[in-house]
Amino acid sequence: MTRNISRWTALVLALTIRQALWAEAAQPSAPEAQAPAAAAAQPSQPAAQSPAATANPGIRWEKSFAPISEGKWTGHRLADGQPDVQGDWSNTIGNHDNFTDPQGGTPGDPVRRKRALGARDERAPSRVSDPADGQVPFQPWARAKQEEFAAGLWNATRQEYIEPLARCAPAGVPKSFMWHGYEIRQFPGYVLFLFNSGTRIIHLDGKPHLPDNIKLWNGDSRGHWEGNTLVVDVSNNNSKARFARTGEFASENLRVEERFTFDASGKRFNYVATLTDPTVYTRPFTVTIPMRRFTAGDSQDGWHYEVPLSNHKGSQLVADHYERPCVENNGPFGQVVGSAQ
Amino acid sequence: MKSVLASQRLSTSWLAAAVRVSAARFVAARLVAARFVAARSVSARFIAATTAVVPTVAALVLAASAIAFATPATAAGANKIPRLNGKPDFSGIWQTTSTADFDLEPHSTRKDAPPGAGIVAGGVIPYLPAALEQKKKNFGARSTQDPRLKCWTLGTPRGIYYPEPFQVFQRGEDLTVVFEFGHSVRTIHTNGTEHPTEKNEFWLGDSRGHWEGDTLVVDVTDFEDETWLDRAGDFHSTDMHVVERWKFLDPNTIDYQATIEDPKVFSRPWNIEVFLYRHREKNFQLIENYCFTLDYDKYYPVPAP
Repeated sequence: MTRNISRWTALVLALTIRQALWAEAAQPSAPEAQAPAAAAAQPSQPAAQSPAATANPGIRWEKSFAPISEGKWTGHRLADGQPDVQGDWSNTIGNHDNFTDPQGGTPGDPVRRKRALGARDERAPSRVSDPADGQVPFQPWARAKQEEFAAGLWNATRQEYIEPLARCAPAGVPKSFMWHGYEIRQFPGYVLFLFNSGTRIIHLDGKPHLPDNIKLWNGDSRGHWEGNTLVVDVSNNNSKARFARTGEFASENLRVEERFTFDASGKRFNYVATLTDPTVYTRPFTVTIPMRRFTAGDSQDGWHYEVPLSNHKGSQLVADHYERPCVENNGPFGQVVGSAQ
Repeated sequence: MKSVLASQRLSTSWLAAAVRVSAARFVAARLVAARFVAARSVSARFIAATTAVVPTVAALVLAASAIAFATPATAAGANKIPRLNGKPDFSGIWQTTSTADFDLEPHSTRKDAPPGAGIVAGGVIPYLPAALEQKKKNFGARSTQDPRLKCWTLGTPRGIYYPEPFQVFQRGEDLTVVFEFGHSVRTIHTNGTEHPTEKNEFWLGDSRGHWEGDTLVVDVTDFEDETWLDRAGDFHSTDMHVVERWKFLDPNTIDYQATIEDPKVFSRPWNIEVFLYRHREKNFQLIENYCFTLDYDKYYPVPAP
C-alpha cells in the first residue's frame, strides 16, 4: 500500500479529476463492479488517462429513491435506548459535482462527455426537494456569486474559486453527505459521523450551543431522537465549504435542521435538511439525500465503501476502519495548478 | 534539598540541549528518576512520614505533597471507577497538565517552553548516535519544523499529552479517540482483531487493544515518520512500536504509560508516564480545531454585500 498520506491525497486528487469521467461511464444500472481503492491512489498516473479508471463505475447511482416516513422505531436499540444505526453508509445519487442535478456533471467541465446527457428526468432529481423547482432560492447577489464561482472553477484565477475540499478542508454541512462513504458510531449521549473529510460530534444531552462568535467548518450540532428520526440543530457554521462544485453556499448566519429518518429494514435512511439563512436566501429550503448501508463483505468500490476487512483468526467478516487524514492537498480541482494565484 | 533539586533540573535541561552523553547528565537523570518514583509511592511515604517524624525540611515538603495526593486517592476508594461491560470505561474528555509536549525530557525554562521535569523514565531518551544528531538538528529548527505548526496529525503517543483536550468514546468493540487538535480520529480496536497483514503508514498508527485486568493495553504499529514526539524535535521512524497502558488512578484521572521502541532510532525501548485529567467543567465540549485550514480559510466564505 502506498503511504497513507499519499493515498488520501491521491484519492482526493484523482477522484476529483475523474469525476466527470465517471459521470459519463457510470450507468445507473451498472453491475456492482469492483474498484480497488488502490487504483485511485497512483499519484504518478493521471487518472483521466487511465482506461481502467474510466471503465470503472466507482460511484453507483440511483435515478430515484423512495421517501421514508417518520414514525416509530421498531428495530434494534442500543443499551441507552437510541435506535441502533451504527455502521457504514453512503449516498446513492452521486457526488458533489452538481448540487441540483446530481448526475448531470459539472457545467463547464473541460473533459468532453462521451455521450449526451439526455433528458433531465433520466437522472436523479435535484437535491433541493423544496421549493418544487429544485433550485436554491438565492437572493440575486448570492445567485451572481454562485455563478461566478461555477464559472471560475475550471480556471481558478482567484483563491476563492478553489473548492475548499480540494485543500483538505472538511466538507461541512451538507456536503459531507455527498462525499464518499462514511461511518456512524453511537455512544450514550452522542452520535458520531466519521466522514472522508471531517468528523461531526452530535451532542444528544441538550447542552447549549457554543457562543455564537465561534464558527466551525462542521458547525455545532445538538440532536435528539424522535422515533425513527434523528433530529439535529446545526449552528455556529463558518459556511466556508461550498455545497458542491456548482458553487452553492451559505453565510455564517446559516441554521440547519437535519432530519435523518431511518427505515425499518435498517438498510436505508433519507437525509432531509432545512437550510435557513436570511442573508443569502429568499426563504428556507430543503435538501434531501438518500443513503444506503454497506456491510462487511460488500464490494469495495473505492468511493461508497472503502472499508477493508479486519485481520483476525475467526471466519466472520469484520469491517476494519483506518484513519482518514488529509493534510497537505493544497491544489485546486484537477486544474493546472499554476493558473491559481 | 529543594535547592539542590532545582539546580539539578537546571543543569539537566541545559545538558539536554547541549551535551547528551555525559556522566553529569547520567547522575542528574538518576536523581530525577528517583524523585519520579518517590512521587508514585506517596501513600507509603505518607505513612512513613506520619508514623516516624523526621524533622527535616524535605520530609515536611514530602508529607505536604503526600497529603495533597492522598486525599483524592482515598476518595477513589469510595468512588468506583466507571465501567462498561465490566471493563473500565474511559469515556470522557481528557487532558494532560504536564509540559510533556514541550519536551519529553527534563528541561528548564526556555523562551518557547515552560520548565518541566519530563515524563521519560530515567530522564533520557536512548538515541542511537546518528539519530541523536538528527534530534539535535530538529531541536535547532523546532521553531519552523515541528509538524504541529502545520497542524499535521500529532501521532501516537504525542496526541495524548499534547496540551489540548481529546475525547474518548468507548464501545465494547473499540475506543474512538477524537483529538481537538486537527479533529483527528484514532480507533483503538478491542474486538480481538490484529494489525493488518500488510504494512501501512498511518499518522496515528494502527491500534489493537486488549484488557489485562483493569488495564487497557494497546499495541500500536504501522506508523509513518513525519510526526515528532514533542516540540523539542524528538522523533521516530516508520519502525516505531508503541505499547500503551491505560488505567484509572481514580475516576477522574488516567495513569497513561507507554513503551516506545524503534530499532532505527533508539538503542533500547524507553518508557513514559503521564497523568490525564478529566474535564468536568459544566457543558465542556471539544471545539473542532481544523487548524490546517488557517492558511487559506481567509478566502472563504463568500462575503455578504
